[in-house]
Amino acid sequence: MSPHTERVPASGPPVLDIEDMRIERAGTGDPIVTALDLRLAAGESVGIVGESGSGKSMSAKALIGLLPEGVVAKGSARFDGENLLDLSERQWRTIRGRQIGMIMQDPFTMLNPVMRCGRILEESLLAQRRLSRAERRAEAIRRLAEVGITDETVVDRYPFQLSGGMRQRVAIAAALARDPQVLIADEPSTALDVVTQREVLALIKRIQEARGMALILITHDLRVAFATCDRIQVLYAGSLVEAGRADDVRERPLHPYSQGLLLSEPPADRRVRQLVAIPGSVPSAAEVRDRCSFESRCRWARQVCRDGEPPLAVVGDDRRSRCVRLPEIEAEMAALLSKAEEREDGPAGSRSDDALIDVVNIQKVFRSGGRTVRAVDDVSISVRAGESVGIVGESGSGKTTLARMLVGLESPTGGEIVIDGIPVRRWRDLTTNERRRLRRTVQTVFQDPYSSLNPMRSVGWALKEAIVTHDRGATGVERRVGELLESVGLSPGYARRRPASLSGGERQRVAIARALAVEPRVLICDEPVSALDMSVQAQILNLLRQIRAERGISCLFITHDLSIVRQASEYLYVMHLGKVVESGPTESVLDHPRDDYTAQLLSSVPRPEEQWLTT
Amino acid sequence: MSARAILLMIGKRLVALVVLIAILSFLVFSLVHIAPGTVVDAYLGGKPATPELVQALTERYHLDEPFLTQYWLWLRDALVFDFGESTLTTLPVTDEIGARLGPSAFLAVYAYLLTLILGVIPGVVAALRQRKTLDRGLVAGAVVALSTPPFVMGILLLYLFAVLVPVFPAAGLGEGFLDQLWHLTLPALALALCVAAFLLRHSRASMIKVLDQDYIMFARARGLSRRHVLVRYAFRNALIPVVTVSGSLLAFFFAGAVFVETAFSLGGIGELLVQATETSDMPMIQALAMLIAVLIVLANLLADLAYVAIDPRIRFEGRSA
Amino acid sequence: MTEAAITTPQRLTGRRVRRRPPVLIALCFAFMALVLLMAIAGPMLAPHDPAQQDVLGSLAPPGAEHWLGTDGLGRDVFSRMLAGAQSAILGPLVIALASMVCGNLLGLLAGYRGGIIDSLVMRWVDLMVAIPSLLIIIVVAGALGGGYWLAVGLLIVLTIPTDARVMRAATLEQTPRPYVEAAKTLGVTDGRIMVRHIWPNIAAAAVANSVIIFAGSLVSLAGLSFLGLGAEPGTPDWGQMLSENQPLLFTNPVAIIAPGIAIALTATSVNLVGDWIYEKMSSRGAGR
Repeated sequence: MSPHTERVPASGPPVLDIEDMRIERAGTGDPIVTALDLRLAAGESVGIVGESGSGKSMSAKALIGLLPEGVVAKGSARFDGENLLDLSERQWRTIRGRQIGMIMQDPFTMLNPVMRCGRILEESLLAQRRLSRAERRAEAIRRLAEVGITDETVVDRYPFQLSGGMRQRVAIAAALARDPQVLIADEPSTALDVVTQREVLALIKRIQEARGMALILITHDLRVAFATCDRIQVLYAGSLVEAGRADDVRERPLHPYSQGLLLSEPPADRRVRQLVAIPGSVPSAAEVRDRCSFESRCRWARQVCRDGEPPLAVVGDDRRSRCVRLPEIEAEMAALLSKAEEREDGPAGSRSDDALIDVVNIQKVFRSGGRTVRAVDDVSISVRAGESVGIVGESGSGKTTLARMLVGLESPTGGEIVIDGIPVRRWRDLTTNERRRLRRTVQTVFQDPYSSLNPMRSVGWALKEAIVTHDRGATGVERRVGELLESVGLSPGYARRRPASLSGGERQRVAIARALAVEPRVLICDEPVSALDMSVQAQILNLLRQIRAERGISCLFITHDLSIVRQASEYLYVMHLGKVVESGPTESVLDHPRDDYTAQLLSSVPRPEEQWLTT
Repeated sequence: MSARAILLMIGKRLVALVVLIAILSFLVFSLVHIAPGTVVDAYLGGKPATPELVQALTERYHLDEPFLTQYWLWLRDALVFDFGESTLTTLPVTDEIGARLGPSAFLAVYAYLLTLILGVIPGVVAALRQRKTLDRGLVAGAVVALSTPPFVMGILLLYLFAVLVPVFPAAGLGEGFLDQLWHLTLPALALALCVAAFLLRHSRASMIKVLDQDYIMFARARGLSRRHVLVRYAFRNALIPVVTVSGSLLAFFFAGAVFVETAFSLGGIGELLVQATETSDMPMIQALAMLIAVLIVLANLLADLAYVAIDPRIRFEGRSA
Repeated sequence: MTEAAITTPQRLTGRRVRRRPPVLIALCFAFMALVLLMAIAGPMLAPHDPAQQDVLGSLAPPGAEHWLGTDGLGRDVFSRMLAGAQSAILGPLVIALASMVCGNLLGLLAGYRGGIIDSLVMRWVDLMVAIPSLLIIIVVAGALGGGYWLAVGLLIVLTIPTDARVMRAATLEQTPRPYVEAAKTLGVTDGRIMVRHIWPNIAAAAVANSVIIFAGSLVSLAGLSFLGLGAEPGTPDWGQMLSENQPLLFTNPVAIIAPGIAIALTATSVNLVGDWIYEKMSSRGAGR
């Protein structure tokens, strides 16, 4: 282990120097990454930020020599005097793990499920020294202590016996077992809950600084990158669009895409009038060859943006941007940024008395293999006419089970649900008429737009079914399908298309249109944007807000994200381990939390201040 | 998971096993009642129905008792390996079966080893050479082998290696271990190829799935050698689902052995079963059916226990992977 | 909405390129067509009466008169091959169709509804997995005296649970998917969800499985005939020809090799086509 404890200055000579790295498919020549430049000094942390299809994960694989078959990297990535992209498999063996380490996104799949954690650590240690079994075990325990696991029995446990956060810690210890100089962390906290996410990021940061190790953090989340990294590189559709110091990029982005991304993130500390969304969806690198990769979605695009790929120009101290029109539009960009900062006050006044959904002391107990899980434990909530109610909680808080009980996908073990005056504790006991009325009252938008549409059926078929199911003799169905599509911002031509040919955002729009087909009075949205790219999330949030305003319907908004719930709800319930721990008007709960758990959740939201990762 | 919980699980499996065998024994016993003609006809096996013989058979098999009592008495005898006498030779069927068990056991063990070698190794190799010529060749070959039933394979092998290029004997069992090995090579191959093809496809699919897992990439990223990752990670994990099917493979084996023994005239219990069906030798059919059923059920139990032993996820969580 | 979603041309057309079946699959189809033709018109095309014996002309080697020679009773092997296609195809066709209809129905019900149907199907399956169906048929057919349609009937009874199990597993995989839950919360009836939503998504497995059952029962029926428990003695049948002509291995091997290869080639073609159909159909609508 490295003895360094003091922080190494970020301006040292680069340990890793990537110039013009390109990654493409060997057969077709389709680009995946068109241009990536990166200088990484010893002890420095650099964040590579990008959405899906930006090529950020492929770049990580290229830097550790594990690109999938049929994918090649060109250009130069100099490390220790050698170009990593030219190394043979034999040469890589002295670098992987020893010089460059990597951890990946999903702690649930990253560790061999049939190997004990101690074994995973021991085999990762360098095999040079002859150690006895007891010594190896002691070393494994010491390594676990470095990542904050003091429970020695973990070495004898299998990964599936540990929580996600613990697994990620074991994985970090394994990745660092050969003491690499550079750690590549590919979305290390994305699969984790907010509280655990902060702990894991803090751990990585602490070890990085203690060891004087360089860190490349790959993430889709700008806030995480700002909070963790010294410098930021923004990648879009395979091309590096902006690079600079984290604080500089956050305060004044110098590329329309980075700015768009920054603006589409709902702020955690205030409610804004409308989120500034980037239109359209993320293209692939092959689709935007030989022009500015962001041109198709940029409000400032001109012909010059389509005349070849713009160069990565130096635009300030340690600052680079690939926007050719930057000098002309810089002032406009700054104005937009300050306008978006404007705060909107939450709606004042008390809740109406007209409850559409009333849940009283509801319980749901799951039994499996002798274990009992109280998924929902004595929860009471209500949704009134015209209001948007938020439920926020981590995975396992019972929020999704609650939503499923509201629409009859699960039956409660105890308590009562009243929807529109009908008691619906047991859906089986309801009459056909009652069920029909319930379906027309409450509709759902699911989390995963990729699987909530039947892959074998066209968009038009799905919407037609939704209309006809509740209105057998419906006339003008085709016209109504067109209207529904237009109401969610899609052209009627989408009716003919299959879900496979739609982007995630488009699918979620179709799913919303399907829910609206029966003209419900309450829309239950279960994590409706968490599977979408950041730049698309804002579009869907704005769409939902617009639909609510136009139709005056109520909304039950379920999410793990405090920033989103602040934008999307007026009344808030905070759930933890099956119970509601706090409720009240959203603004007051988030500004003045009374429950410890709420406060802990709030402090886990990434923010750039120094103390975020240290507290 | 404690030793007690493991014992409990094994106990549960044993109870299920006893129940299954009880059901099967009942079905096997009922065979004499669904056979054409009366029950006495079934036990006569075509011999003239003299009053003395009918009287003797009625006593021997308790045919004057109620149906369920008959079953109970039959089962009690069966538990001490008394299934009655062959209607053909009038010798106790268990003696006849005992005399024929040797070649069948030799064939089964030989073919099982061949299956493992010809199934798992090419399956793993094909997965490592995915979409290359070797892989395509092996996969296509597997479809051919899978589609060629053992009796056809046996005859084709006989024609190729006993008639065209006579390197193996066409019939007989041989004396001594090596001679037996030589004599049983073609039958064992005929039996093994079809099942090996199934195993090849299964282990290839399993290996490809494992190679695609994050933990393989993470192991490589930690600097573990390719060989270490292949052996300790990929091969081992890919073998887990292969072990689970190895139990049902045995079922294929017993069915295939009947055909192969007939095609090669090996005089094993499979051939005995075919002869018994030709002559409607009911006690023999019943005894053989029970024997094969019990063997298969035990083999399945062993496969399940092996699965529990190698997959900790089952041991600790009691869930299937 | 101001933010009209931008669609890229590639997403509109999709990346799928329609490919013609590869040569191998085309050959398989051609061979299957040939066997089908033989099954329908075999006796008419046959140069000789497949049942006509000619003791003096027995064991004739292949030649102009008898393309594949004659068997021990002097019957024309080529004519018997043509006529034998019928029993090779007919039974498996009945088995595949019957088990597809019943198996799909039971599998969908068991997977989607669970409950009693599910437990019944699964117990039935457990029994079938424990004891190979061919052995059951040998024992039962042996006790009952054998016969082609008895074998077909028994095979139907024994393949239904295997088909039901595959369809149940496929259904279980679809049932928790959000598109099914979305249909439920929309108020779509269970029957419609099973038939109009789930079935199209598992049809690839259904069709492929039936094709594989076809190949499997072709082989099983031939095997039962080989053991004397299938086709009636004397009728032309590939499996029976194998056992009848086995003594001719050294004297007239063509008479035994020909039916063997016919069985293997037909089953191989059908299996390859089944695999191909599965890949083809499951790539429809798939992909993101």
